[in-house]
Amino acid sequence: MRSGDARREILHAIRGNLAQGLESAPPDRLSAPASSPPVPLSVPERGDVVKHFTEQLTAVGAQWTVVRTEAEAAAALARILTDAGARRVVGSDAPLVQRLLQSVKNGLVIDRLERLSRDALFACDAGVTTAQWGIADTGTLVLESAREQSRLLSLVPPIHVALLSTRCICDSLREALGRVSVASHAITFITGPSRTSDIELTLVVGVHGPQTVHVLLMEEA
Amino acid sequence: MRVSLFVTCLADQLWPSAAVGAVGVLRRLGCAVEFDERQTCCGQPAFNTGYRPAARTLARRQIEIIESSAADAIVSPSGSCTAMVHHYDQLFDDSAWRARARGVADRTHELSSFLVNQLGVEDVGASFSGRLTWHDACHGLRDLGIKDEPRRLLRRVTGAELVELPNAEACCGFGGTFSVKYPEISVAILDEKVDAIERAGVDAVVSGDASCLMQIAGRLSRRGSMVRAMHLAEVLASK
Amino acid sequence: MTFERDARTALADGQLRGALRQATTLFGERRRAALSTVPDWEGARDRARAIKDETLEHLDRYLEQFAANAERAGARVHWARDAAEACDLIGAIAERRGARTVVKSKSMATEEIHLNAALARRHIEPVETDLGEYIVQLAGETPSHIVVPAIHKTKAQIAALFADKLGIVPSDDVATLTAAARAALRGSFAEADLGISGVNFAVAETGTILILENEGNARLTTSLPRTHVALMGIEKVIPRFADLDVFLQLLPRSGTGQVLTAYQSLLTGTKRRPEDEGPEELHIVVLDNGRSRMLAAAVTRQSLACIRCGACLNACPVYRQIGGHAYGSVYPGPIGAVLSPQLFGLARSAALPYASSLCGACRDVCPVKIDIPALLLHLRAEVVDSRVGKGRLRERLAFSIYAALMARPRLFEWVMRFARRLRIMPRLGAWTKWRDLRPLAPQSFREQWRTGLRDAGDADA
Repeated sequence: MRSGDARREILHAIRGNLAQGLESAPPDRLSAPASSPPVPLSVPERGDVVKHFTEQLTAVGAQWTVVRTEAEAAAALARILTDAGARRVVGSDAPLVQRLLQSVKNGLVIDRLERLSRDALFACDAGVTTAQWGIADTGTLVLESAREQSRLLSLVPPIHVALLSTRCICDSLREALGRVSVASHAITFITGPSRTSDIELTLVVGVHGPQTVHVLLMEEA
Repeated sequence: MRVSLFVTCLADQLWPSAAVGAVGVLRRLGCAVEFDERQTCCGQPAFNTGYRPAARTLARRQIEIIESSAADAIVSPSGSCTAMVHHYDQLFDDSAWRARARGVADRTHELSSFLVNQLGVEDVGASFSGRLTWHDACHGLRDLGIKDEPRRLLRRVTGAELVELPNAEACCGFGGTFSVKYPEISVAILDEKVDAIERAGVDAVVSGDASCLMQIAGRLSRRGSMVRAMHLAEVLASK
Repeated sequence: MTFERDARTALADGQLRGALRQATTLFGERRRAALSTVPDWEGARDRARAIKDETLEHLDRYLEQFAANAERAGARVHWARDAAEACDLIGAIAERRGARTVVKSKSMATEEIHLNAALARRHIEPVETDLGEYIVQLAGETPSHIVVPAIHKTKAQIAALFADKLGIVPSDDVATLTAAARAALRGSFAEADLGISGVNFAVAETGTILILENEGNARLTTSLPRTHVALMGIEKVIPRFADLDVFLQLLPRSGTGQVLTAYQSLLTGTKRRPEDEGPEELHIVVLDNGRSRMLAAAVTRQSLACIRCGACLNACPVYRQIGGHAYGSVYPGPIGAVLSPQLFGLARSAALPYASSLCGACRDVCPVKIDIPALLLHLRAEVVDSRVGKGRLRERLAFSIYAALMARPRLFEWVMRFARRLRIMPRLGAWTKWRDLRPLAPQSFREQWRTGLRDAGDADA
């Protein structure tokens, strides 16, 4: 099969060229650096982590509200949606999201993703999901597809509201990479709203992805 | 301290005051200066344009000349030529020549680096009245790490006021044959440097490489500027 | 030669030069600010380079591991020896999957293989969805910068373009123009049945591909359509999932000065259940197209370490003046000057290795420490040895004379003294058209040395 030939030939070409190159390696090629461990970041207190995370969220243009109970979360969600003038809202399959949307129904049209056509999804005003992790260093949300159907809801509607437990905030990107699992066919890192500077280097926030990202931080003991 | 001068073909023929100044400063600091008249060119133009056999021939010649010197150090008023000598080992597949190349590289120093790092001197007893600015020649800066040394030396020149260019590290656009292969690009790059020099309101722009000085001086004068282009050694030799 | 002509055209374009100056200055400043937020930037560069070296030295093994893991997770991995084969593979997939509306996110590899033209011959017109690429596609042009493809266009030009192609009322408000593109492209996204993307990193350990972006168009391209095709050069693979950390620290900061871009998509195979979100099929096309040849020597092998951040473009004094189009290649700037001759042949790109002053600013900013000047010098030696390009005869002669003179100090001195007496200077029009030439000093250094300077050593200078 042609692709089998191509694979064989490419690997053969690689091996052949490497054999040529490595035997005549000049003695002064860039020496491999000592494998120094990365400078360990000090482990902050939990409270510091949340503070660090929210500072970074602000720095990257995301909004955030700390809530302590589901009732508070529901109230905050209602306020966010009303302030934004959102009417059609879609929630992910996460039980928490479904519960919250039930309690903020007034005046809103709540849809379920699986019932929506693609066009209808594009007509939605807001998507509500949870996030599996946060990254304090960068103000990033991490979504794992095996845990929740949040890929499109965090992308298509112009407003994305994400619920995140403060217990799930990692310090660093490195830690987050260690926590996610590739059992999820899609892992998405989200750092602030979508943006571009392609026209005359002028920043525009909100292009193909959401224009508003709002994180509801659930404080958990 | 015995020093052998690696004059460079460019300084020798086109900017001799740089070499004369270097001799003056070294002697003022108590060095005995020697000059081996067999030296010509380090081979950089050939190497940079892709003529490696010619570069190798000249490199071998230069290595032999340096090896035959019993001086404590070989000193050059050019960052790019010093860098070329420091890269000689890359020209040879033969391990014996590579070792010899590394040997001469260890002994060869650019002038400002030699004064500050080897002699441990920053005040060379110079005086020059006027506002000066420094242009970091690319090879000296990036290949040899020379950034601080010329500035330290210039700051100790009596009567001189050193002003920093916002684009001090930007290339002047010379690049050897690049300056005549792609002259319009070379001059476009050069004009940004000259614009900054003129905005700085200085009496002279100083550099450690005669090649950059030729490029910058050539455009300054074409643009009718009163700013002089001077080699570091000329400033340091002034009294 | 085209390069000289195109460079001259660029130099004469005041608006372009202003835009380039602004963009490269801004990205340079942002990069410098951003790298101060990494505790050990140099250490990170060294680690990244070490990972790349390790990978490239065992590239066959890591590619096999990547393919096996990607396939185990449900992806189909295809191999393309050259551009034509890659275009055929992708075209066949598109046809087999009945693709009618095709969306693309930014991928230099797809430009390298001229994919859009090949698909057009099958009556498939992919829509570029990255805003800069979309603008360039509408205008029928090519990108001029790796990160900001439409940097050469003013908002007035873009407004006129959108008025013509999208029927909008022209506006000089950038947000309005962006919204117009967004609205137009949302229509394409809503209908798209095939998405084509590039790959920033391919992880051997897990079979994961990583795509980073700011706009969200790559996420839409790779999650909405039922088929996703991802094109990657063989050099995109890295060994371990954890290795992504150091590259994600380096790439966004180096390219745009961001700590992280808005989105990273880490895609491993296809969805596990039919009802999950995402494409039904993921096709990864692994492209050689001349890359394997670069493995044959250490100096050229480092070309494959490039992570396409664009930092070298922003640092280069030549690129700053002439922009990307003059390089005549999908890969412009310093990295383009060394990649293009190696990928597309020296004969086609003989000028590029010489289009540099060898200042080394690119090497300073490269996150993986590619020694571009060393590569340029290597390619120049190859150009000379292979005798490609015009005008070599005169140059060859000049260097023969130069070498002969420099090997004979007395002859050298005699010729120079002769020139000095008769005030002969080579009439280098290329120099004197823009720059004055200093007259030769009455005495060279060695003449002064012999006629008094040597013996003045005992007296104080």
